[in-house]
Amino acid sequence: MKHLTEEEMIVEVYGEGEDTAAVERHLESCKECAQAFAELKRDLADVNRMEAPARDEAYGQRVWASIAPLLPVYTREKRRWWAAGWSTSGWLKGLGYAAACALLVACAFYAGRVWEQRKQPAVARVEPKPPQARQPIVVVVLDDHLDRSERFLVQLKHADVDSAQMVSPLRDEARSLLAANRVCRKNLAQKDDPELATALDHLDNLLAEAANEPGGLNAESIARLQDEMNADGLLFEVRVLRSRIADRKAAGANPAKGGTI
Amino acid sequence: MDRNDHAAIQAVLAGDKDAYGALVVRHSHTLFRVAFRITGNEADAEDVVQEAFLRGYRKLDGFESRANFSTWIYRIAVHCALDRVKHRRADEANLVGRVSESTDPEQDQVQVADQAAGPEQLLLSSEIGSMQLAALHSLTPTERTAFVLRHMEDRTTAEIGAALGIEPNAAKQAVFRAVQKMRRRLAPLRVAT
Repeated sequence: MKHLTEEEMIVEVYGEGEDTAAVERHLESCKECAQAFAELKRDLADVNRMEAPARDEAYGQRVWASIAPLLPVYTREKRRWWAAGWSTSGWLKGLGYAAACALLVACAFYAGRVWEQRKQPAVARVEPKPPQARQPIVVVVLDDHLDRSERFLVQLKHADVDSAQMVSPLRDEARSLLAANRVCRKNLAQKDDPELATALDHLDNLLAEAANEPGGLNAESIARLQDEMNADGLLFEVRVLRSRIADRKAAGANPAKGGTI
Repeated sequence: MDRNDHAAIQAVLAGDKDAYGALVVRHSHTLFRVAFRITGNEADAEDVVQEAFLRGYRKLDGFESRANFSTWIYRIAVHCALDRVKHRRADEANLVGRVSESTDPEQDQVQVADQAAGPEQLLLSSEIGSMQLAALHSLTPTERTAFVLRHMEDRTTAEIGAALGIEPNAAKQAVFRAVQKMRRRLAPLRVAT
């Protein structure tokens, strides 16, 4: 056996060695360790156990008197539930709490099942389609109106004032378009599209003048209408709007992409 | 667990504050002894006893009924004493730079009970006591507490670990270090005697 370490000796001195018999056998056979062990025991024995100064019998009472005013009175509410502990009433209370908890859980489970069953039809209900479904119809009507308006404006731009055959249809077309234009304006009044609203307003003014020109359209009135049309850039404006409306028609044909007017 | 302690605790938790007085009276002397050995100071030991019982009262509703009250309050007292020693060391460290050399070293001495009869033995005993005290002061608070609990209070390594809130192996190592330091510090005493 190797020599004992100081730690092993300390453990042995304090009686906490795991193999005291082996240590004793080694100490009997090894003078070096035996001497070191004896010195350790002597050194530790010399260390004063530092006896505390005596306290009289009333010491405990004095300690209690000094701390008692600082202590609050325990109330039952302050006690923790697990500290209710070992008394019979504590057990009964614990059982009561457990039963209440179990009942609460059962009620919650039942209520959850009932709620879930009632909720299911609502989940399966087909939601009504949003108003968006109507929008393609409006778009188609508007596209047709703008198409007709563009053709009218082109005819007006290139109108031959000397040809009565050409001027007379323009007035009739203007009246027809005026009625359609007002319907479109009314339908689109709530839409947030200022460009379209402005264009339809300009178109309305021009169509109204063309349809209600006293004495019918003549060279002078046509020239004036052409000037107004050019000044407002109305033909260009209608073409741009047609292009936009065509895009919206395409979007409306594919609802997944979403499209509004 | 002591049936009397158990009954007193139940009474306290039921609202009878005075029942705690019986526990204080029953365990005060034990707590004072260990507190004195750890702090090495009578006044500190008395403060520790009061503080331990105060802490114990406040934690009483969390006290495990199956535990032993004497062990439980003993651990609280050890903690309080250890805290006291740590704070005192910190205070002393702060004072080192300010205290002049004229400080009377006898003021720092701790009362050590001595049964010696003759004046020469009394003188020798007080000298040995002072050296032992100085050796104890050279230990860290944890080493000192571990040594006191092992050497003077006869507590096992497991109990020391529980009292200090450390692993038993760490408690064992603290005791080893303490014994080694004590022996080194007290070596001159052996030569003299």
